[in-house]
Amino acid sequence: MSARTPLSRATPTRDVTSALDPQAQERAEDELIMHLERDQFVAETSRPVPRAPLGAWASGSLWALRVFVVVVSLMVIYTFVDQLH
Amino acid sequence: MGTPEVAASSPLLRQPRLTEEDTARSRDRSRVHHARRHRKRWHLLWLLVGPGILAMLGENDGPSMIAYAADGAQYGLGFFVPFIPLLFAMAYVCQEMCMRVGAVTHRGYGELVLQRYGRVWGWFVAGDLTLTNLVTLVAEFVAIRVGLAYFHLGAGVAVALGLALVVFTLSGGRYWRWERIVLGLAAFNGLFLLAAILVKPDVGAIAGSLDFTPFPGGGFNTLLLLLASTIGATVTPWMIFFQQSASADKGMTPSDVAHGRYDTALGAVLAAIFGIGALIAGAALLSHGGSGIQGFAGAGFPQALERVAGGAAGTVFALGLIEAGAVAILTISASTAYAAGECIGASHSFNSSPRGAAVFYAANIGVALLAALVILIPGAPLLSIALNANVLATVLLPVSLVLLVILANDKDLMGPWVNKRSTNIVGIGVIAFVGVCGAAYGIDSFLQAVHLIGS
Repeated sequence: MSARTPLSRATPTRDVTSALDPQAQERAEDELIMHLERDQFVAETSRPVPRAPLGAWASGSLWALRVFVVVVSLMVIYTFVDQLH
Repeated sequence: MGTPEVAASSPLLRQPRLTEEDTARSRDRSRVHHARRHRKRWHLLWLLVGPGILAMLGENDGPSMIAYAADGAQYGLGFFVPFIPLLFAMAYVCQEMCMRVGAVTHRGYGELVLQRYGRVWGWFVAGDLTLTNLVTLVAEFVAIRVGLAYFHLGAGVAVALGLALVVFTLSGGRYWRWERIVLGLAAFNGLFLLAAILVKPDVGAIAGSLDFTPFPGGGFNTLLLLLASTIGATVTPWMIFFQQSASADKGMTPSDVAHGRYDTALGAVLAAIFGIGALIAGAALLSHGGSGIQGFAGAGFPQALERVAGGAAGTVFALGLIEAGAVAILTISASTAYAAGECIGASHSFNSSPRGAAVFYAANIGVALLAALVILIPGAPLLSIALNANVLATVLLPVSLVLLVILANDKDLMGPWVNKRSTNIVGIGVIAFVGVCGAAYGIDSFLQAVHLIGS
């Protein structure tokens, strides 16, 4: 198994109790679980990752880039409409 | 997403109950583990390739191949033969980051941006994606229509074919099935290489153009349009969303990052070769009035190729356009569906059933349907839409790329898999290049449109 990522926790190991479980379906589930890393389960990926607010410099730069991109996009759309006429 | 449940069977080890998505992904992973354990290297590679090749060949889409052919028809081989591989090298840098972030975090791009940096940025990038995807999807249907027009088939057939493919590939409820069908279709992108061979190009002229000369002539705005549209033909927002989400959906883990790099590199090499194929095929028209060809008027390029290089070249090019449009419809619709599911917080996996992932399936089919309806509108400006699709993607790309670089440098998310310094330097260079080219074209064209500068 791979090295752990910061988001991951230990992949559940196969337990003796599950091997003794009479229900075949649950045994099959245990075997399938072995092939997934813990943080790959839908139950895990459903949990949002912690928020990491952008710093003032990064946030300001992103907003500036955002505004610039919107303005240029509007120019491209205007040119597109103008060319139609 | 699916409802997390806790198994009650083992009080000693409380582990999550498998959802249908987990079960399907786990089956795929069991084959990967088996191949790795038994050192079946080629089988392991076969199991792990997919998202990278699909992102790259998906971007060799209808408008891109027509753009390459138009470059060849108008300017010849010079400059573009080395420029296309350079652009795909840039695309590799971006797509490798997507694959790595997806494999390490098991989450899609939109989901991570939204959760990590807030709803505003999440919805911004999703909005950019939706806009460019819708415009690009219209262009894909146009490309299919152009290809089919060569065989005297109309827009209705193009719409039916595109939508039928989307529904058919979604019908299995498995990521693996979807990926393999689309990979099979994408292999036919090689038709452009066959078209290049059929026009019997001068190999010496191809080799001689590797020094970026002759530089394309024409006005400043024309050059900017060429740069912006060619960049938009190789790196686009949908590729970022698609490869990261598909890597997570495929179940890739940090152990698979090396194979993910092979996958992405193979996709980039194939896409560059096939793109140059379209360029060479188009260049056959250079001395036959190629610059006057309106690719979307009637059968356009295939018809012109038939006159110059024979019926086989025209047929192969037309089939290539149909393939390029069809594969791109599948991958771009998928990227829209991933983004919709991730931003709304609904299940977003090919491994879920339509009932379990209604938003994902509805977005996948809905966006394709919406684009299809546009090409059925009589008198719709399809040529202008197709030509501007790549430019709009180029203009909107920098924000998505900046957030991707921030994610790939997030130590809390990526741990030891954060970007290396060299990757950051190249990544920032790519962002600057894309941003400057897109903005320069947008501003220059606007100033001409409002008559502040002459054309």
